[in-house]
Amino acid sequence: MATLELSSVRKSFGATNVIHGIDLAIAHGEFCVFVGPSGCGKSTLLRMIAGLESVSGGEVRIDGKRVNELGASERGLAMVFQSYALYPHMSVRKNLSFGLENVRMPQAEIDRRVAEAARMLRLEPYLERRPGALSGGQRQRVAIGRAVVREPKIFLFDEPLSNLDAELRVRMRAELGALHERIGNTMIYVTHDQVEAMTLADRIAVLRDGRCEQFAAPLELYNAPANEFVAGFIGSPRMNFLKGTLAAAGAGDASVALAVGGEVHATGLTAAGAKRPTAGEPVTLGVRPEHLQLVAPGAGQADMKVDLTEQLGGESYIYGSLAEGATLVVRLAGQTRIERGQSVGVDFAGSSSLHLFDGEGKALARRTA
Amino acid sequence: MTPASSPRSAGYWRLRRWIDNLAFAAVLVVLLAPVLFVFFWVVSLSLKFDIDNTAYPPIFVPPTPTLDNFRRLFADTPFALYFWNSLLVSGGATLAALLLGVPAGYGIAKSKAHGLAVLMLISRMTPGLSYLIPLFTLFQILGLLGTLWPIAITHLVITLPIVVYVMIGYFETLPPELEEAARIDGCSVWQAFRYVALPLARPGIVVGAILSFIYSWNNFVFGAVFAGRTTRTMPVAVYNMLTFEQFAWGPLAAAAIVVMLPVLFLTVLIQREIVGGLTAGGVKGA
Ligand SMILES: Nc1ncnc2c1ncn2[C@@H]1O[C@H](COP(=O)(O)OP(=O)(O)OP(=O)(O)O)[C@@H](O)[C@H]1O
Ligand SMILES: [Mg+2]
Repeated sequence: MATLELSSVRKSFGATNVIHGIDLAIAHGEFCVFVGPSGCGKSTLLRMIAGLESVSGGEVRIDGKRVNELGASERGLAMVFQSYALYPHMSVRKNLSFGLENVRMPQAEIDRRVAEAARMLRLEPYLERRPGALSGGQRQRVAIGRAVVREPKIFLFDEPLSNLDAELRVRMRAELGALHERIGNTMIYVTHDQVEAMTLADRIAVLRDGRCEQFAAPLELYNAPANEFVAGFIGSPRMNFLKGTLAAAGAGDASVALAVGGEVHATGLTAAGAKRPTAGEPVTLGVRPEHLQLVAPGAGQADMKVDLTEQLGGESYIYGSLAEGATLVVRLAGQTRIERGQSVGVDFAGSSSLHLFDGEGKALARRTA
Repeated sequence: MTPASSPRSAGYWRLRRWIDNLAFAAVLVVLLAPVLFVFFWVVSLSLKFDIDNTAYPPIFVPPTPTLDNFRRLFADTPFALYFWNSLLVSGGATLAALLLGVPAGYGIAKSKAHGLAVLMLISRMTPGLSYLIPLFTLFQILGLLGTLWPIAITHLVITLPIVVYVMIGYFETLPPELEEAARIDGCSVWQAFRYVALPLARPGIVVGAILSFIYSWNNFVFGAVFAGRTTRTMPVAVYNMLTFEQFAWGPLAAAAIVVMLPVLFLTVLIQREIVGGLTAGGVKGA
């Protein structure tokens, strides 16, 4: 059993505050992913959990016990670094066993665990080599193996796959998922790759500027983002946002007068927050590229001029511009004949999924498919 | 195709490279000539009989080389004792500097306490003579005069800053993740130092040790002040030969060679060690 709780955890380096009070409760066996733009404090938060960075305020609890004052060596966690941080002067075997020897584990048990990890991560042929004589993917597996043999309460990963090429990344991602299935430990994983986050996580914490914007299951983040930032951050290509004003708001419907012209009347909405939409307030309409439909010019709520089409074979992306510099991306299944320079109509009202955000970016109401 | 852009023949490029190398060698010789000539002259002196050493015009290459000067050096003077003294002083001062300086360099590098390092440098730059008198009195009170202790201890002023500085440089280039990984693997701060940082800093330790040994070996002033008749170090002994046996150029040159040999040997050794990149492979891209 290993649970982790952060309560109003803060971090400052001198006068600069980097983490502004984060509350998270991670359950035993959960795979939790921290995502967020570069510099938002993901690594710092992870290092505070690991005990490599002091906690400026708040409390970190492992299994309910406060660990703020415990050093990294006493927390019983294991961490996989982005740079792997393998001991270059030790063989792979020694790299794996080093942490176990430090706690004076019986040699037979060390051998058993190293052998098992080596088998699981297919490292047996390399056990006597130094890390310098391994490929990137092999080093990565040694770094993971070094964590696995420790049988830690919690695994910490800081962008462990970002140094690998695309193909290897996909493979290691699957292996990490399988590893979690098999050993079932609590894992905390930092990444800025959304695909990793969406595919691996039980729950994702979206961080921005040292604050947690939303902590929820992947599809919940996708379907019911708490605010404009999360909506824009999760999903690729990102959600389309159009500014407007709320012309009328009823119990389950709303009319938005778009700044680019045209009015969208949406029905079947459910309230997303405590706040009730009021007519006249500025709002942002959010629609994901896959939820927009293209219609004949004039038949939708707005017309756009196509700037670029990307044909990926199985799907196509249409990038277009509306009036006043607003742009839209539309995803179409299959291949398309639409070409650059063409004019097309966009239908919002018929979209299966729509989001309304208030002036501060908080979710107001949504319709989800 | 115009002649200007036509590819030149392989022979042209070989010639061109040969000329480049020759020019480089010529520049090297010109730059090093003063040093090389003195070195050559000392070697020549040490291998000639006295009569040839003062001959005019000078004899550069001895017609019948002899090791007589070396024999006389060790037979007529206690030069073996002085050599042993120097070895004890420089070896001891270097060893002590390693014991103190390697952990100190680690601490300074990891806590980024560069002020301390500068302080150390100031003590190094202060002219030795300015504190030799109080030290002399101190050692007199402690009853250590006439032993090698005062010389070895004062040589720490030379060796310790060298070791600390070299080690700061090495420890700073160690990726911090390595020790963080060790901490997470259950190491105390000391264990992380002992099992991870120290083995990886071995080239630095070797370089620091050799440099501090060389500087200590060549130092004259501390030995000159603290040495008695039996506790002379080699530079002091050579100096004494110069004053009392003015015209014995042969043994003097032989003594100079004996002083130089360990330094020469260590310099060659150090070049190999500096090249070693031991951290390769530990951290991605390194
Ligand atoms: N030792 C430090 N001193 C001062 N500021 C720091 C220090 N370490 C990190 N920061 C700052 O803290 C913020 C968060 O850094 P952190 O490394 O946690 O970002 P991150 O989310 O991991 O980013 P990335 O995705 O690029 O790795 C950054 O603005 C960074 O400049
Ligand atoms: Mg980071």
